[in-house]
Amino acid sequence: MKIENFFLAVLSILVFTACDSDNDGPVLDEVASDTVANLFAPQSGGQDQGPISGEFTKFDFATGLETTSATDWDIAFRGTAIIINGGASLGTIDEPERTGNGAAYIATGTFVSVTEADDSLFVQDSGSGYAIPVGSGNGWYTYEFMTNTIEPIPGRVLVIRTRDNRYAKIEILSYYKDAPEQITPEIAADDLRYYTFNYAYQPNEGVAQF
Amino acid sequence: MRHLVLTICFLGQVLAIQAQEKPQDSIPTIIMEALDEVVLTATRTERQLSSLPLPVQIIKNETIRSTNALRLSEVLNEQTGLITIPDFGGVEGIQMQGLDSQYTLILVNGVPLIGRSAGTLDLNRIALGNVKQIEIVKGASSSLYGSDALGGVINIITESPREGIQGSITHRSSTFDIHDTNFLIDYKKKRFGMSLFVDRYENGGYDLTGENGLNSLDPYSNVTINPTITYEFGENTKLNITGRIFSQKQDLSIFENQGEANITDWNSHLRLTQVLNSKWEGLLEGYISRYKADEFLETTNGDPVGASDFDQLLARPELRLIYKGVEKWTWINGIGMNHEKLERSDFSETPIFNSPYVYSQLDGYLGQKLNVIFGARFDAHNSYRSQFSPKLALRYDINQTYAIKGSVGYGFKAPDFRQLYFNFSNSSVGYTVLGFNAAADELEELSDQGQIANIVVQPDVFDDDLSPENSLGINLGMSFTPSREISAKLNLFHNTIEDLIDTRVIANKTNGQNVFSYFNVDEVITQGLEVESRWQVSESIQVSGGYQLLVAKDQQALDAFKKGEVFARETPTSSAFQLEEQDYFGLYNRSRHMANFKLFYKNTAWKANANIRGTFRSKFGLIDTNGNNYLDRFDTFIGGYSIWDIAINKSIAKNFEFGLGVDNLLDFTDPQNISAIPGRIIYGKINLKI
Repeated sequence: MKIENFFLAVLSILVFTACDSDNDGPVLDEVASDTVANLFAPQSGGQDQGPISGEFTKFDFATGLETTSATDWDIAFRGTAIIINGGASLGTIDEPERTGNGAAYIATGTFVSVTEADDSLFVQDSGSGYAIPVGSGNGWYTYEFMTNTIEPIPGRVLVIRTRDNRYAKIEILSYYKDAPEQITPEIAADDLRYYTFNYAYQPNEGVAQF
Repeated sequence: MRHLVLTICFLGQVLAIQAQEKPQDSIPTIIMEALDEVVLTATRTERQLSSLPLPVQIIKNETIRSTNALRLSEVLNEQTGLITIPDFGGVEGIQMQGLDSQYTLILVNGVPLIGRSAGTLDLNRIALGNVKQIEIVKGASSSLYGSDALGGVINIITESPREGIQGSITHRSSTFDIHDTNFLIDYKKKRFGMSLFVDRYENGGYDLTGENGLNSLDPYSNVTINPTITYEFGENTKLNITGRIFSQKQDLSIFENQGEANITDWNSHLRLTQVLNSKWEGLLEGYISRYKADEFLETTNGDPVGASDFDQLLARPELRLIYKGVEKWTWINGIGMNHEKLERSDFSETPIFNSPYVYSQLDGYLGQKLNVIFGARFDAHNSYRSQFSPKLALRYDINQTYAIKGSVGYGFKAPDFRQLYFNFSNSSVGYTVLGFNAAADELEELSDQGQIANIVVQPDVFDDDLSPENSLGINLGMSFTPSREISAKLNLFHNTIEDLIDTRVIANKTNGQNVFSYFNVDEVITQGLEVESRWQVSESIQVSGGYQLLVAKDQQALDAFKKGEVFARETPTSSAFQLEEQDYFGLYNRSRHMANFKLFYKNTAWKANANIRGTFRSKFGLIDTNGNNYLDRFDTFIGGYSIWDIAINKSIAKNFEFGLGVDNLLDFTDPQNISAIPGRIIYGKINLKI
């Protein structure tokens, strides 16, 4: 009896609050959340095989899909490097031209705890470095030389401003095909450069929360 | 009768200090007990082990012989709180009180072994065939020994020539193609004594994984030649000259590439002791040591893949003056100088270190029951900050059964040559590592070559000197000796190591890689407790056991956990969550629990002895497996394990002894994680006395 009353009370509060926001605010598109699995980001060269080259694998948050468009992309991947469609090229071979106003920074926290993009922290790619720094421990991953593996640093959330001033956040989960539990030496050597990541995309311009 | 007189004379010398403390009538029995328990390392004078205020362990020749151990690492592994840990090069070094092997000083007859090419001194370099005893002093001891004595000091004392002439030949062969033959002869007549020890060791190597093209251990062999000459010019003047030559060759095989690694270690040690009068004694010591290591690797076509060389020289004259003018007190003073030189590949220059030092120590009794040791040392240096290292130790004998002891000491480790003068660029990955003293110039050069994209630190940070890594070690102990048959010791330890040197990014390169240099960054705390007990069950059976609890943590890591900056994932596809302070496990390769158990059995009628020894270590982590750079509860750990060894020895006739044994009886291996444990080793040994 009492328990039922309690639930009723909770339910009504929930309904009322939900109604309130529905009635007062403008009509907004929902935040899109998804997991992208096995986004393949190959590279040529590097590791004693000459300079790094190869097309970047581009990603568009609005569609949630990989793209080959020269302009309609937000972030792009090549090996462990992640670039943003905003700023200037670092000048490596095959690096695409930045056509948008993208920017990024790395937040520390769980994916859920990063709830808002902070405009003051955004950095764009430039001739002296990427917004998401490369190198073990500098950006999104650590490299363990004893096992030759790339591990995404847990608790690093990439906060992105898209080419057209929307906000998104990314948590990279794995760099290996099918996100295996155990990265064997064979997997480390053959099945690398497959990104699996969680993302959330706020499609409404000017809204920094996700 | 003449022998007896000589022996007593000799004992009289050795036990001069003890003798002063004891009433005349009790000398004979005390000598018998004390003789095998005299320690040199703790105070640099002979002291009775059981009276010391410091935590000291001793491994006697008899124990080494009955366990049939061949190399230093084997015996150290069985001591409470000690474990050998292989470094990246496969070299085995000692971990003491949770400190890495570069923080423990290894001495032979009181002078240091050199050749720590990557910080670790290879304990398999030391043969045991002519070792009289091994002394282990725990806790920071730079007040007497200078650099490297943070965790403690291990001193290997070799046999000195005994009266008459005697010799022995020992051979041991075992599975894994390990063969050792050694020969020891010593001679002493009147004033002149000499001995010669020759050892040849061969290890066939092994491969635990068998698939990745890398051996767990490449085959190697080495020879040790160790001559000693002693001469007494008179009652009061003694000369001791020792030489040691060690030469090792290892065949390397890495994938399809072949090569060789060669080590030559050569040293000579001269010691002249002069009793000046009834109160003063002088000692002049000269030591020169050279360590050369070179290796190369080439393809099957003979094209070079890589080569490196390392050539280190240490020369050390030292003068000591000992004053024993006050009853029950010893005052020891030393002055000396370390001259070091290193030629090495990937170095910006050939560095020379000159480091003069002085030290002084008082050791004596206040009243009947309180022993006080107070000492300090000053090391001046031309390439890093000079060091002052004090130490205080106290022991109070409550009664015959109980004693309490405590010590506080400072320890330091000089920055090694690599941390100061390295200039290395990795050709395959493209990063660069620069020594602290070389960094400013080399960075400028890289910048001029257009290789630098961005400088992270201001170059003027290199104007200052790099500080030696330093520690404050506290030991608090208690000993319990209810009877001659039973003894137990408890020791609590706490070490704070500051200014640990680690690499940090100083610049980003245009190729996307980094330039690193060495800085004083980390602070580490190791603490724990040790318990050791021994029970002489009967004339023929002795049982002993030991345990160490260890917590070793990095202060920065602890802070990061406290601030909530560390996260983990349970599975590769689940989102990260925040870790708490208690999720931090501590430093890599440290087991929280380590224990050992030994049972020695001796049957005099059968002229036989047997023993069983076991060691245990609890789980430990070797690397961070979940990407957060720290060892936490959610990482993959290497499970705890135990190793059991047995040995049986029997004498036949007067001069012949044989032994059989099995090391690692249960055939424990962990091919993925522990390459230093090959599996079960079965051996046979013969010993012939001449």
